[in-house]
Amino acid sequence: MTATQGWLALVILSGGSTLIAWWGGTGVLVALAILTLAWAKAQIVLNVYLGLSEAPGWSRGFALVLGLFMLGAMGLAVAAGAV
Amino acid sequence: MKYQTQKIALIYFAVALALFAVQVTMGLILGWIYVSPNFLSEILPFNIGRMLHTNSLVVWLLVGFFGAAYYLIPEEAEREIHSPLLAYLQLGILVLGTAGVVVTYLFNLFDGNFLLGNEGREFIEQPRWVKAGIVIAALIFLYNVSLTVLKGRKTAISNILLLGLWLLALLFLFAFYNPANLALDKQYWWFIVHLWVEATWELVMASILAFLMLKLTGVDREVVEKWLYVIAALALFSGILGTGHHYYWIGMPSYWQWIGSIFSTLEIAPFFAMMAFAFVMVWKGRRDHPNKAALLWSLGCAVTAFFGAGVWGFLHTLHGVNYYTHGTQITAAHGHLAFYGAYVMLNLAMFTYAMPVLRGRDPYNQVLNMAAFWLMTAGMAFMTFTLTFAGTIQTHMQRVEGVDFMSVQDQLWIFYVMRFGSGVAVVLGAYILIYALAFPRREVVKPGPVQSHKSAETPAE
Amino acid sequence: MSDDTDPETGFYALPGDLMMWILIISELIVFGAGLMAFMAVRLTDPQGFTAAQGHLDATAAGINTIVLVTSGWLAALAQRAGAAGQVARVRLLLASAAALGALFLWIKMQEYAAKSAIGIDFETHPFFTFYYLLTGFHALHVVAGIVILALVGWKATPRNLEVGTAFWHMVDLVWVLLFPIIYLLR
Repeated sequence: MTATQGWLALVILSGGSTLIAWWGGTGVLVALAILTLAWAKAQIVLNVYLGLSEAPGWSRGFALVLGLFMLGAMGLAVAAGAV
Repeated sequence: MKYQTQKIALIYFAVALALFAVQVTMGLILGWIYVSPNFLSEILPFNIGRMLHTNSLVVWLLVGFFGAAYYLIPEEAEREIHSPLLAYLQLGILVLGTAGVVVTYLFNLFDGNFLLGNEGREFIEQPRWVKAGIVIAALIFLYNVSLTVLKGRKTAISNILLLGLWLLALLFLFAFYNPANLALDKQYWWFIVHLWVEATWELVMASILAFLMLKLTGVDREVVEKWLYVIAALALFSGILGTGHHYYWIGMPSYWQWIGSIFSTLEIAPFFAMMAFAFVMVWKGRRDHPNKAALLWSLGCAVTAFFGAGVWGFLHTLHGVNYYTHGTQITAAHGHLAFYGAYVMLNLAMFTYAMPVLRGRDPYNQVLNMAAFWLMTAGMAFMTFTLTFAGTIQTHMQRVEGVDFMSVQDQLWIFYVMRFGSGVAVVLGAYILIYALAFPRREVVKPGPVQSHKSAETPAE
Repeated sequence: MSDDTDPETGFYALPGDLMMWILIISELIVFGAGLMAFMAVRLTDPQGFTAAQGHLDATAAGINTIVLVTSGWLAALAQRAGAAGQVARVRLLLASAAALGALFLWIKMQEYAAKSAIGIDFETHPFFTFYYLLTGFHALHVVAGIVILALVGWKATPRNLEVGTAFWHMVDLVWVLLFPIIYLLR
């Protein structure tokens, strides 16, 4: 993915989360959708902007830690929805 | 010893060891006061004894750092110290100031006098004339070592050491600002010792540890320096804002609870890195240095600092925990193991490495020194556990159940007895160590065939 | 750490400078911990957090997301132009990236001013403690990032560009995680 393709993907994904916000939906599924979009955006910034795709080992390491963070965030979002 | 001016370190180490003896002896007296509270209550009130215990600790650690700098800067800069005379003058000022402080405190002379009286602020009680003397001594020191480094070879070790020493001297200037508002007074007060132990002293520690690793393991300087930069960056990143874990309790806004909790949790990172650094260097090392005791102290320092400062610090740093534990015996447990592991052991590692060289003694296997290491370290570990249990009970009874302070103290008596016992071990170890460092001129145990063969192969450095 | 000295593995495999990566990882841990703490504290009062979040302007923050990722794109292009030795193009791109950073800060200031006008501060609600801490700390990094972009634009070596733009991308990365969690989740 080139920098420009990465940028386009980020703009589209950001548009997606802003659309969800405008639509005003609530609930656990909406929260999970928003966090999934954020997860994808973070992956693009790491691999394309920060160039981690050149260092596959580090890319995998960051992806793992980011994944754990996002799963933690999703877990807490689900818990908040259930309260 | 390659440079004649490294000899300056010897007298600094001697003063540091004398104050070390005072510090631990005073600690033992205080430990007994916990067991039997009226002991010496007329002639040496607890607050004075405690002040002598903590202040002599801080002063001897600083004198030890100065001595370490005078020892390692010539080797790093590859030239003699700029002015030995100034170095001795600096020590003279510090000794005079220390004596002045002790006499002023013990007899409460010149009470209320602007220049001569004690200032009455915990840890920075020094009369103003002593504070001024400390600043002059610090300026002499910084001038002397900075000029030596500027004229000589510049290495990461001396750069980080100087950065740490400059910052610690600048932070001391807060001691001159004494606002009438007690909350403000406490706020500036924290900026001194806490930004020392959580930031600038860590830089000093990392650079001295790097120097010892370089000498003891023979790993390439390039590798040591990379670790050193990473450790220094982690220490400053986590330490400066990590000090914020205290701020809420001294009257600053509540958002400091979160800043302090998050950054101070990260303060484990530099201590973990130092421990990893020490072990990786020994693992990769190419040199079998005959000074086994120095290596033991270096590794012990990295490990105990990680537990004392890192783990025991984290134990009660999160504000939800600290709300209950602040100022209980848990704080005392952390304070003892952290100071011992990080800064006492660091100084003792440096003394153990340098004193045989300075006193022209080898092969310095130093069996007695190593025995003292285990006695002191085991005693301190036991003391830490005892105080941690005492603190847990104290927190529950006093802070959760609301039992009054003195009733809780009565319940903790058995722990204070055990703490006194562990204190005896530490003090005995300290006396043995001081003897082992300062007095014998030859090894007390004859080396076996393997060791004497190795020593003949690798000449000491 | 035997891989430490092998040029293609270990720390040497990371693009740019080791110290910058240490900083980036440290910053990510801090923001990650802050966001986790935010979400955990939210469990104690979901209604209060949602009500407090109602005072935020998600649209302005959404625009700011576009501003910042576009700025990151320009910085990435600048770094690639630097590798090709086109200094004039590097400086133009970095100036544009920094200008978008300034726009981000201006929009953020409007947001803070609006909060302040209706009397919202750090102590109003735990939501706003986190809001001010996390977005404020991030905004400080945007300020630092603009300074860094100016410095590496001045001394535009490929290595400097790689290190300086890495910091800017870290600021981007934090924002794409911070924005949805603070502004959008309810």
